[in-house]
Amino acid sequence: MSLVSFIGAIELGLVYSLLAFGSFISFKILNIADLTVDGSFVLGAAASAILAFNGMPYAGVIAAVIAGALAGVVTALLQTKFGIQPILSGILTMTGLYSINLMVMDGKANIPLLNKTNIFTLAETLIGGKTYKIVVLLIIVAFIFAVLNWFFRTQLGLSLRATGDNEAMCKASSIDTDTVKVVGFAISNAIVALSGALLAQMQQSADVNMGSGMVVISFASIIIGSVIIKNRNITLGFLSVIIGSVIYRLIIALILTTKFPPSYLKLISSLVVIIALSIPNIKRKMEINKLRRSINHVS
Amino acid sequence: MSLKINSVSKIFNKNTPDEHKGLDNINFSVSDGEFITIIGGNGAGKSTLFNVISGTVLCDSGNIELDGIDITYIPEYKRAAFIGRIFQDPMKGTAPNMTVGENLIIAYMRSTKKNILISPSKKDKLFIRERLSQLGLGLEDRMNTKIGLLSGGQRQAITLVMATLVKPKLLLLDEHTAALDPVSAKSVLELTNKIVLGNNITTLMITHNITSALELGNRTIMMDSGNIAVDIGGSERKNMSVQDLLDKFNKIKNKVFDDDKVLL
Repeated sequence: MSLVSFIGAIELGLVYSLLAFGSFISFKILNIADLTVDGSFVLGAAASAILAFNGMPYAGVIAAVIAGALAGVVTALLQTKFGIQPILSGILTMTGLYSINLMVMDGKANIPLLNKTNIFTLAETLIGGKTYKIVVLLIIVAFIFAVLNWFFRTQLGLSLRATGDNEAMCKASSIDTDTVKVVGFAISNAIVALSGALLAQMQQSADVNMGSGMVVISFASIIIGSVIIKNRNITLGFLSVIIGSVIYRLIIALILTTKFPPSYLKLISSLVVIIALSIPNIKRKMEINKLRRSINHVS
Repeated sequence: MSLKINSVSKIFNKNTPDEHKGLDNINFSVSDGEFITIIGGNGAGKSTLFNVISGTVLCDSGNIELDGIDITYIPEYKRAAFIGRIFQDPMKGTAPNMTVGENLIIAYMRSTKKNILISPSKKDKLFIRERLSQLGLGLEDRMNTKIGLLSGGQRQAITLVMATLVKPKLLLLDEHTAALDPVSAKSVLELTNKIVLGNNITTLMITHNITSALELGNRTIMMDSGNIAVDIGGSERKNMSVQDLLDKFNKIKNKVFDDDKVLL
């Protein structure tokens, strides 16, 4: 692997670790797989790109975060107030977002940002070299990491974790679980949109189809991370997500150096998630079979 | 504190062959500091009574007053701010993947809801630790243990602390020892008695054990077909044996029971 592709993988790993933060909140903490992510990621990219195109890269990132939060609120309301199944709520928002994303992008499927000022421009002139993007991304990821660590230890954060763990107990503890879910999904999708916003400005383009498969990619990162660091507490959990995301990108970069066709990458991501989620079940069945065989042996 | 149940009815599967009267025009009131034990067969309406008081189920007619405030249509989570409830299943009352300390903090938050973005203070944590140590089970040294790793008895004891950490206006115990082994059940019952009497908490307790229904508390209600069949307290209750109670029930209902097996 060349140095350029190694640095590229680290950059992507950091950007996508924000995406994985978002999924970690919905999938691991609230215990609901949120498919809004595929749409809110593009929404963030679209908002960020259209404003950067018009010379406002920072406003673009802020707009992306707000838009992402709103997308999360919609999904949460569909689940809680309208009683639509969680998975379907996400799919509905995601599907609707496709049109909204095109609208945000002024009807164009692609917005190129070549030679436009972006949030990395300042660091490029100050630091320069090949690593300036990594520095900017590290600062952003560290900031979000710190905020999430603080938040999930506050009373609201604890309520969120408890809602995912035992909803009946939360109601009995006078927690309005519907509101808590709205807050959780808003935060989750705001961070996902931030991830999309940064990616668009880093790659200097936004595409209306760039979100497909993002849920699976983020799950793969979460799972790889959880293999390396056991999620004993919330801090380690978020840390494992960053590491998992970077490793995932390094693996992809490695695969790309071989002759393996890149079109198979999504299939590989799916397989990683399928294998990781099914291992505990398969292990248990194997143990039962082993036990059965050993008993038959004795008799 | 006073609780008033005024002509409350709750009918399940109305206008179908499966129609069942959960509560049938029931009237009763609880005054401050009373510890009432409730007995009755399956389908007598004990749990339905708790469900309408706590807001899990809304009643069809009648109203419920707590401290003079009509709470009939207040959502469950809002009532939970002043009504503590413990279920039969020890798994229901605690969040298994969170630590003992975090679970207790969530229960403690009922009183401090206003500062939702504040982390619990050292003082709060010390208070919680102190309350946990009063159980005498050594759980205060396991504040950072995931609660799912504890036994059913330990979890139910913690749930008891959680429900009473902020003194509730009313405590509802729904057969909270029924899923425990006899030794744990006895110890949780003793803890219940200690906490309820020590803090003077108005309590309703459903039990299937008639002996402990007469031993604990200061008033006993026997339910049947969605209404109250027997309501005894004071000296009458003090001198009553399990057989006396069953006889009284039979006399009122004009049914024949050989022993308490029918009720168990």
